[in-house]
Amino acid sequence: MKQPLTTGRLSNTTWFARVATLMLLCALALVFATSAALANSHVRPPGDAVNVIADDGAPNTLGDRSDAEIWDDFRGGDPKDLLAPRPEGTVMTTTGQQWRVIRERFIVKYAGWFPVGVIGILALFFVVKGRMPIKGGRSGKTVPRFTLIHRIAHWTTAGVFMILGLSGLIILLGRPVILPLFGHEVNSTLTSASLQGHNLFGPLFIVCLIWMFVKFIRGNLFQLVDLKWILKLGGLFGGHVSSSQFNFGEKSWFWLLMIVGAVMSVTGLALEFPWFTEDLRWLQLSTILHGVGAITLICVSIGHIYMGTIGVEGAIDSMLIGEVDENWAKEHHDLWYEEVTGKSAKDDGNEEGAVT
Amino acid sequence: MSFIDFVEGPLYYVAATIFVFGALWRVIGIIRIGRKKDISPPKGSAALGFFKGNLRHFFPRGIFARRTWLHIVGGYGFHLGLFGVLLFAAPHVAFISDRITGFSWPTLPRWGFIITAEIAFLGLIVLWVRRFSDPVMRLISDWDDHIGTWLTFLAMLSGCFALGESSVFLRATHMLLIDIWLIYFPFGRLMHAFTFFLSRGNTGATYGRKGMNL
Repeated sequence: MKQPLTTGRLSNTTWFARVATLMLLCALALVFATSAALANSHVRPPGDAVNVIADDGAPNTLGDRSDAEIWDDFRGGDPKDLLAPRPEGTVMTTTGQQWRVIRERFIVKYAGWFPVGVIGILALFFVVKGRMPIKGGRSGKTVPRFTLIHRIAHWTTAGVFMILGLSGLIILLGRPVILPLFGHEVNSTLTSASLQGHNLFGPLFIVCLIWMFVKFIRGNLFQLVDLKWILKLGGLFGGHVSSSQFNFGEKSWFWLLMIVGAVMSVTGLALEFPWFTEDLRWLQLSTILHGVGAITLICVSIGHIYMGTIGVEGAIDSMLIGEVDENWAKEHHDLWYEEVTGKSAKDDGNEEGAVT
Repeated sequence: MSFIDFVEGPLYYVAATIFVFGALWRVIGIIRIGRKKDISPPKGSAALGFFKGNLRHFFPRGIFARRTWLHIVGGYGFHLGLFGVLLFAAPHVAFISDRITGFSWPTLPRWGFIITAEIAFLGLIVLWVRRFSDPVMRLISDWDDHIGTWLTFLAMLSGCFALGESSVFLRATHMLLIDIWLIYFPFGRLMHAFTFFLSRGNTGATYGRKGMNL
């Protein structure tokens, strides 16, 4: 999915053998998937036939076992455990088939609907609730919130994330979405471009992730006040919710980005440099984790973009100019406002507040 | 004539001609403006100041460097990365050798080329993000700055997309953007690639003649 296997690190013969093996396994897996129903209709021995067991234990000399059962003898491994080692004596595993089923029937089939669903929910939310205004309007006075370095780290990460997200979606959903709509030529061209872009920008995301961690870890550690935020659901249904520099929602987004981003980085590297492991199951697991992680981050980032732009008045200022309106700060991050200004956030009697 | 033939053929030669003659016209124009005659007695060498001014500006001074370190790192990263990719990527060397010089030179290995391109991309993104994140930079930036940045970015990105060398369309898109970039180059601030030494040299020569230690 990532770097083509023609790396030059291994001999052509070795690669050919691997590719041939992989193709064989895929072909066999396909056969299993489609032949289950046919297996029962295969020719059976007569009822009076005697199954002679040879001295060496070779069964089925009279053909009283179906093809599927014979193949089962060759196949090993726990079909429910992707990382289960292949039992000794078996020549093929079920993991490849399981991986294919998970990827094709669940991830590829449903992944695209999650971002669409999130966009739909947010659009509905916007229609119903509208833009969340600054209570009391803009004061005209601002409070510094993010330094230039914070803003550059954020936007650089956002830019790289966008490129990776779009290219990743094309790679993942090109076949089920683009191919039927625009044909093979368009799909292959877009997928080829996306693959190259994804591979080149992927390592940059790791750099950005570390940069973001260093710059934003301060203020993103969970506090007791976050419990109140959780209990009041972030003020979604009214009522003021106190918050320090970042509220529980923002902190959760930060840690989700860090943890899932780390998983994405490790699995991405495994897929980009597949020769680091001899075990195909790690690559299979990596594609699944990478796909699920990507959809998770894309969905949550859509919510983050909504809240930071059209969802909440004044929120975008913090990342554009580094300063926020005083009333916005009092409303959404009162504890932080009091900390940085030394003034009370309740001076003007703002009672209402909500999430950012 | 196919699209790829057009962008790699006639359009490329037109773009390259505009680029060369446009850039020459701009540089010669600046030189022809000349400098106001300085009738004060010289206390140092203007010529030496010209060269020192050029060299000195490669290394920003103390507090200035500390305040703008990210700009400096991003700037060097982008420009060195871009030159590395432009001059030492195997497809570029093959193209230049085939179309311009008639001879080739050693190229970067693929991994080296990829890392160089990544540094260039990161540098360019950082520079552009700073352009709209910094209130002062935002104020002094205009459409020309953004167009130049985005043209460069898209030309690089299309080159990145074409790395698989499996699609004629992707290669043609890259070449089309390069052609547009070459045509735009002499008329915008991308020209700083050829005029920076004149501005730095002018400052250096002025101070050098006054005997100031650069």
